[in-house]
Amino acid sequence: MTDKSASRAPAKDLAPAPAPAVAASPGRSGEGTAWLLITPGVIWMTLFLVAPILMIVYVSFWTQTTFAINPTPTLDSWRDFFTSSTYLNSLWTTVRIWLIVLAATLLVGYPAALFIGIFVRSRNLSIALLIICVIPFWTSFLIRVLAWRPMLGREGAINILLQKFGITSAPIDVLLFSQLSVIIGMTQIYVVFMVGPIAFMLSRIDRNVLEAARDLGAGFGRIFTRIILPLSLPGVVVGSIFVSVMVLGEFATSAALSGRQVNLLGNIIVTQVGSLKWAFASVVGVVLTVIIGIVIAMLLRVVDLKREL
Amino acid sequence: MESRILKPILGVYLALFILFLYGPFIVLGILSFQAGPDGGPQFPIIEWSTYWYRHLFGMTEVTRVAPLHLREALFRSLTLAFMTMVTATVLGVISAQAFRRRFRGSGVVFYLIVLGMMVPGVLTGLGISLLSSELGISRSWWGTAFVAHVVYTFPFAFLVMLAIFNRFDPSVEEASWSLGVSPIRTFRKVTLPIVFPGVLSSMLFAFTLSYDEFPRTLFASGSDLTLPRTIYATFAVEIHPNIFAFGVLTTLFSFALLTVFGILLYLSTRRAKKIARQEDI
Repeated sequence: MTDKSASRAPAKDLAPAPAPAVAASPGRSGEGTAWLLITPGVIWMTLFLVAPILMIVYVSFWTQTTFAINPTPTLDSWRDFFTSSTYLNSLWTTVRIWLIVLAATLLVGYPAALFIGIFVRSRNLSIALLIICVIPFWTSFLIRVLAWRPMLGREGAINILLQKFGITSAPIDVLLFSQLSVIIGMTQIYVVFMVGPIAFMLSRIDRNVLEAARDLGAGFGRIFTRIILPLSLPGVVVGSIFVSVMVLGEFATSAALSGRQVNLLGNIIVTQVGSLKWAFASVVGVVLTVIIGIVIAMLLRVVDLKREL
Repeated sequence: MESRILKPILGVYLALFILFLYGPFIVLGILSFQAGPDGGPQFPIIEWSTYWYRHLFGMTEVTRVAPLHLREALFRSLTLAFMTMVTATVLGVISAQAFRRRFRGSGVVFYLIVLGMMVPGVLTGLGISLLSSELGISRSWWGTAFVAHVVYTFPFAFLVMLAIFNRFDPSVEEASWSLGVSPIRTFRKVTLPIVFPGVLSSMLFAFTLSYDEFPRTLFASGSDLTLPRTIYATFAVEIHPNIFAFGVLTTLFSFALLTVFGILLYLSTRRAKKIARQEDI
């Protein structure tokens, strides 16, 4: 797919610039047809995405009885959320895990993207390397999470290797069923979403600019901070949006690897729904939506994506 | 030059990085050959065997390790993925086709569609199950979970098609129209064959995302389990190497799917090029 785009790009340059907005439209005029074509998609998203989210907001103000909810408006569930230390802790845990995983994916992923995007000369090789990074996604997400158990456990692969090489004398317990295992697991699962966009932006940097900077005597550190890093920033932002959205909505990784030590907001929603506390689950859902909205808005502040991409 | 030193360092780093991505899966693959039924999901390997693979297919004696009910779950997941693939791709193609002309409100519509992949699965799932219970619709994998899956996969199909149409040369269509061919026939005979590699990619995205989709399904699919939900059910109890054997098998299945996709993509790209060349003459 991607190498096809490369072979097609010059053809497009040769063709006269297309004017999509005023292109000769067949039969009936463009705007009507466009609306006709877009209607099914808009209806689908309105009914099955916007309406459900509004429903969450609405239900968060309903009255919760032991096994049912009724539409009498009340702020009880909201009060419960903001007065319970359990739930506030979970809110803090979610934000903390998100920040750590975001930093970890960036730190672990950036050098890999740098090598793929800048140092690999051959385009085919860099595409091949990216594909190698993506291949693990062809295994079920839950199984990939589960695979960390035999890696990190007391008798897991890492402890066995550490002891074999004499680095540690006794197995490290903290590796599994802890906050650390959740962070390691999430970093491994989501780091590729950081590597992809960054490598893409890096590969678009004009090599001549780097050559020129080098000829003018700039060291790599200077080239990196003045040219490479600023130009890769849109990729960092896109990657951060992907990672943030996925980590903030997570519950499966912490359910599998934390041994109930880490309770994210997602875990709270799952348990509350399990015990039919719909109103309360909705409150947590609204809190989560607000957090994600703020995070995306903040990230979009950093760069103007529409202009950059 | 510093990059002389830096390049090998980063190369080694990338190798370690790839090991980090693959490590757990290698361990999982090795442990799937653990001896059964007493071998646990950890090292050392007591004895190499294919016990857990046979266990998956019900070819071993009954032991305390409950068999996974994969057959029905597999059927549901494949059917659901297929339904999602068809719907999401059709929606993606026609929506992207609409976006080839600028229309009023296109900005809002764009964000509305992309929202589907940005909203976390827990929220979509929770919202859909609330809405369905309010409307008195019972939850099922082929109903509520299906619409949730399309909400998630349609944006991917849409973005892929948008990218394809961006590189599409409209003059071939104009030529067809000017020869008096109807727009619908033009779309079928000219546009679709050229953009077909994109359609295939959309289908692949939609199928695999739906096949592996978990959070939306957990809330929206009612009592019948899909494959990911069957796996999730094992989280709560002690895990056995049969789940690892299953992981190896699903991965092989994915690779088979990827190979078929690669072949189809190759064939359709060749066809699209041929059509484009004919149009050139």
